[in-house]
Amino acid sequence: MAKMMYRDAVRNTIFQEMKRDDSVVVLGEDVVGGMGTPGGPEAIGGIWSTSTGLFGEFGADRVIDTPISESAIVGAAGGLALSGKRPIAELMFADFIGVSLDQIWNQIAKFRYMFGGKTKCPAIIRCIYGAGYNAAAQHSQSPHAILTGMPGLKVVMPSTPADVAGLLRQAIRDDDPVIFMEHKALYGVQGEVPDDPDFCIPFGHARLTRAGQDVTILATGMMVGMAESAADTLAENGIGCDVIDLRTTSPLDEEAILDSVEVTGRLVIVDEAPPRCSLATDLSALVAQKAFASLRAPIEMVTAPHTPIPFARELESAYLPNPDKIEAAVRKALAYN
Amino acid sequence: MGKIRAFTMPKWGIEMTEGTIAEWMFGEGDSFTRGDLICLIETDKITNEVEAEYDATIRRILVAGGGEPEPVGALLAVFDDGSASDAEIDDFIAAFKPAEGGVAEGRQKKKEGKPKEAGIEGEEDKPRAITIETNRPISPEALKLAQAEGIDIADIHGSGRGGRITFQDVQQAMRGPSTRSPKGTAVLPDETSVFASPLARRLAAIHGIELSGVTGTGARGRISKKDVLAKVPEPVASSGATPAFGAPFEAVENEPKVIPFDKIRKIVARRLTQAKQTIPHFYLRVGVKADALLELRKTANLVLGVKASVNDYIVMAAAKALAQHPDVNVQLHGEEIHSFPHADVAVAVASPKGLVTPIVRQANRMRIDQIASRTKELIGKAKDGKLGFEEMDGGTFTVSNLGMFGIENFDAIINPPQGAILAVGSAERRAVETDGGDIAFATVISMTLSVDHRAIDGAAGAQFLATLKSLLEEPETLFA
Repeated sequence: MAKMMYRDAVRNTIFQEMKRDDSVVVLGEDVVGGMGTPGGPEAIGGIWSTSTGLFGEFGADRVIDTPISESAIVGAAGGLALSGKRPIAELMFADFIGVSLDQIWNQIAKFRYMFGGKTKCPAIIRCIYGAGYNAAAQHSQSPHAILTGMPGLKVVMPSTPADVAGLLRQAIRDDDPVIFMEHKALYGVQGEVPDDPDFCIPFGHARLTRAGQDVTILATGMMVGMAESAADTLAENGIGCDVIDLRTTSPLDEEAILDSVEVTGRLVIVDEAPPRCSLATDLSALVAQKAFASLRAPIEMVTAPHTPIPFARELESAYLPNPDKIEAAVRKALAYN
Repeated sequence: MGKIRAFTMPKWGIEMTEGTIAEWMFGEGDSFTRGDLICLIETDKITNEVEAEYDATIRRILVAGGGEPEPVGALLAVFDDGSASDAEIDDFIAAFKPAEGGVAEGRQKKKEGKPKEAGIEGEEDKPRAITIETNRPISPEALKLAQAEGIDIADIHGSGRGGRITFQDVQQAMRGPSTRSPKGTAVLPDETSVFASPLARRLAAIHGIELSGVTGTGARGRISKKDVLAKVPEPVASSGATPAFGAPFEAVENEPKVIPFDKIRKIVARRLTQAKQTIPHFYLRVGVKADALLELRKTANLVLGVKASVNDYIVMAAAKALAQHPDVNVQLHGEEIHSFPHADVAVAVASPKGLVTPIVRQANRMRIDQIASRTKELIGKAKDGKLGFEEMDGGTFTVSNLGMFGIENFDAIINPPQGAILAVGSAERRAVETDGGDIAFATVISMTLSVDHRAIDGAAGAQFLATLKSLLEEPETLFA
């Protein structure tokens, strides 16, 4: 085990996989870091420092700086993947996924299906997403719901450095396109990461981070830590919460969710995105349909409001879910009878 | 030995600290079944029926009916299945430690969500339990349920991913298919074939009159309000048999029919006696000219499409006046006066079970249509005996109106812990002096404010009444 930050787990895993497999290539805006500046390549390092040192080790053929064009980045990744490479494309801000939606939605997600399984498209789109950085409405969003709704894509939302390592390695070795969503506010979070160079976490296996018998809390990404913090506070008051980190929203670990709700009968879903047609409403519908008999209270959702993300620091923190809101939702679910 | 259970004083609402057993429906040694009415518990707000949550036998009653108030959590009685010895019951009582919240729950009170503890005591063993060995995918809770209930899972179609059996699937299998037959399609009323005004349609709906049977006398045969009202049957007084003229008077039997107090009446009687005897009432009387109000009400009701009564307007005006005079908008608790910023106005309603006073909350913040629909709803519930505890709990003021019976004026008894009650009489035509010194007729409503002098002084009450009078005499200010 080694202690490292979330961002280092991204970089290290890419580094190890590029060493292991020549077909792995990295592309994106400023992934070299400083190309064209007076100091030369790697003088500055990309804004997220998730590709530091890759250019020096693997060179310009495998670490490719691109123009500021998400459609070009994702389109190139799709072409590389079709022609036998394993590209890792970086979208510096997931908010701009809209301009590359045709490449993702109509091309990458559909190749294997439309060619009758005769081809594969092992592309990874790393999307840096999420609020908490005071970055306003166009640089803070969490677009996981629309991507989860696209058949043909796998959507991964790691919450810890260890999960980054295991899930990113699984994504690189997977033969299907994977949307790998990295929360920008988690980049500095430290955690233990296994040293095993083949450490993979299979998709569709949720992680039970806290065990309790009173309420089930579902969360992804940055919301997991908040749910854990709320669960710890509640545990001191004798209220036990199952906190489930979904890890991947597609495929979804339906069994983990239903098994927990069948025990607790009460569900709180935490989602950073606005509430309409969201991951939270989707999970709520799943449980309402398949565990109606077990529910003992209405499903509670802790989400952002249905508005763009505000710029002001105070408003942004009011906008986001937090442990207090989660605790209140748990207590509300428990109070219902 | 059967499980011995404590029955303690329940807690209904945050403010409840104690309650009194009004009456036990069972005696010691009696058995009851789940859903039976065990006892009546009276708080300072309401009397609640307490229903049994399980079958049991009453072994010991520690607090008899009609006694002193007991604090929340106090041990009231001990239940079991009838098998424990008296010594065991004594030991249980000796070892009892009071806790908040009762075992049996009132109708309005729901169970608190309690964190589960390992090994819930008192669960019966199911003799039907079986062990299921299967390689079919099934959730742990579903397997537990199927084993406990002895359900054969072979016939269950799993709704989970890959045919996995969920808890819900097993429960569905236990219940079997629904036997409810579908209700079929509904026929919508044909709005187009009858030519009628919107008001006429509404009146017809209220009185249950079929519009197709009404002849319209309006322009181009349109059915108007008066056409519908003409169809509303007048209540006919039944004429008793009149003795033949000239026959001598004969006395008949005049035995009284004895009606014992029911529970509600007992409580109404006790509480009103207590209020009248302990509260130093004084009375302030005022006459309110109501012509402008009556005129405005007609227009406003048509414009807003509601049927707000004069009483609704009085409730609204009283609420607004109370908000301006928080020293009248009070409750009296011991030696504390609680003055409220918003007016929760109770409305006295004669229900089949007796007088009830449901509350229109924050009436000072409501529009007239909101007050009208709220009072209508509350009166409906009162008539059906369906008022909930929270609909009668608290209140800062009461309006009691007997004007519809032609009562000129009357003095009402204060409804504690409130500080005042307004008694409203009928609207009467009276000769009054005009501004020019002539005599004219005006419609005047007499009102009497009963005030608790411990909490409210005469001047405060008078100022409140002056505001109320000016709001009602210039009713457009209600909409300001």
